[in-house]
Amino acid sequence: MRLLVFTVLSAALMVVDARFTVLQPLRSQLGLIVEPVYWLGRLPVTLWDSATQELSSRSDLAAENEKLKAESLMLQRRLQKLAALTEQNVRLRELLNSSALVDDDVLATELIGIDPNPFTHRILIDKGSKDGVLLGQPVLDARGLMGQVVEVMPYTSRVLLLTDTTHSIPVQVNRNGLRAIASGTGNPERLELRHVADTADVKEGDLLLSSGLGQRFPAGYPVAVVTEVIHDSGQPFAIVRAMPTANLNRSRYMLLVFTDPRTPEQRASDSAEAQEAADRQAREQSMSTPSLAPAVPAAASDAPVASPTPAAEPRQ
Amino acid sequence: MIALRARNVWVIWLSLALALLLSVATLPKFMEVGRPLWLALILTYWVLALPHRVGMTTAWCVGLLADVLNGTLLGQNAVILTLVTFLVLSLHQRLRMFPMWQQSMVLLVVFGLAQLVQLWLNALTGSRPPTLAFVLPALVSALLWPWVCVILRGVHKRLSVN
Repeated sequence: MRLLVFTVLSAALMVVDARFTVLQPLRSQLGLIVEPVYWLGRLPVTLWDSATQELSSRSDLAAENEKLKAESLMLQRRLQKLAALTEQNVRLRELLNSSALVDDDVLATELIGIDPNPFTHRILIDKGSKDGVLLGQPVLDARGLMGQVVEVMPYTSRVLLLTDTTHSIPVQVNRNGLRAIASGTGNPERLELRHVADTADVKEGDLLLSSGLGQRFPAGYPVAVVTEVIHDSGQPFAIVRAMPTANLNRSRYMLLVFTDPRTPEQRASDSAEAQEAADRQAREQSMSTPSLAPAVPAAASDAPVASPTPAAEPRQ
Repeated sequence: MIALRARNVWVIWLSLALALLLSVATLPKFMEVGRPLWLALILTYWVLALPHRVGMTTAWCVGLLADVLNGTLLGQNAVILTLVTFLVLSLHQRLRMFPMWQQSMVLLVVFGLAQLVQLWLNALTGSRPPTLAFVLPALVSALLWPWVCVILRGVHKRLSVN
């Protein structure tokens, strides 16, 4: 009798949880217990890590420091180049009158747990709704996209990785812009491109970038590298396998990306307004001082992110 | 009945909390497929030992907590643990008479059933394991049962939990 009651109750809960959002607040409040439990569960690992760090010799640390310095120098150099390129890109985009390319705002986060079910690829991170994490927010590591937030709790959130069998992401081949959808396979080192025609121009070694078409992930982040293209005449489509560029099962520190929350329509109207304002200003300026060399393109590249400035603000 | 007075009940809750902890603790990749069903194991012991104290209500509440921890649908682990408790409760008179290895055999079937329900529910939500590996945790749990039983019985007798 009690079995029946509890079974019905559980079934009702499951249906409500899967179909409606009524239980979300309850879930997220119960989620408060998650962090301490995972912290305790990880305690042996954390202790071991700190112990090895304490006991590592001075020379090791010095060597690591040297290596990090060299790496930092390399990155700095690349960054210098990037600044110039960003500026150039912004200027070209202005010419094309499309919306400005702006850095996305990011928030660093740390891995605190892995889903105990080995058949799902989900991880737990140490930032939650109190830090402004949103449902569906993309997560990156240093090398590429990792996944998206699927559950937000007060101090933690759960991230579904790209390689989970229930996950797909719209991508673009970097070389020629070919669009495709990369689906997870349940293997942490493999994605598969769905429905790619046998004649499509995809080659081994092609870099796949997020295309931003699903409006969930920002465009232009590396997702995977094609490792294998199989043309099987018995199959309707080519089999294309790719390996995620992110270290899905090794990364410990990740970045949460805050992209533009506005809809494309809003963005379009905003940029139209900004364009009008800019035109008006330009007209006024040209009336007052006829000879003026403009080119003030830096605004977009070092503007404090999060609020992407639409196209063609003041300059010109 | 004086024996029915609750004594040292915190031990039960502590052991269940420990089981929750163990069920999410980090394991090496190759061992993850065979992670024992800690909650079911420890719950089974208390149901067998103190059926008047630990029953389906306890199992259901603990299952809900497990759902929150694992991020599964609310009620998924709850219904499975309730089912395990129900089966053990209805068999407990006989199970208590059995020698240890026979208890393990019966529990293998019970845990196997639980894993089967788990598989069905997972298939409904779309994350379906592709292999027969889902019986592995049941097997590991059945093999672990004698040890869990001996340890918990020691604690049980030492602290005379009731």
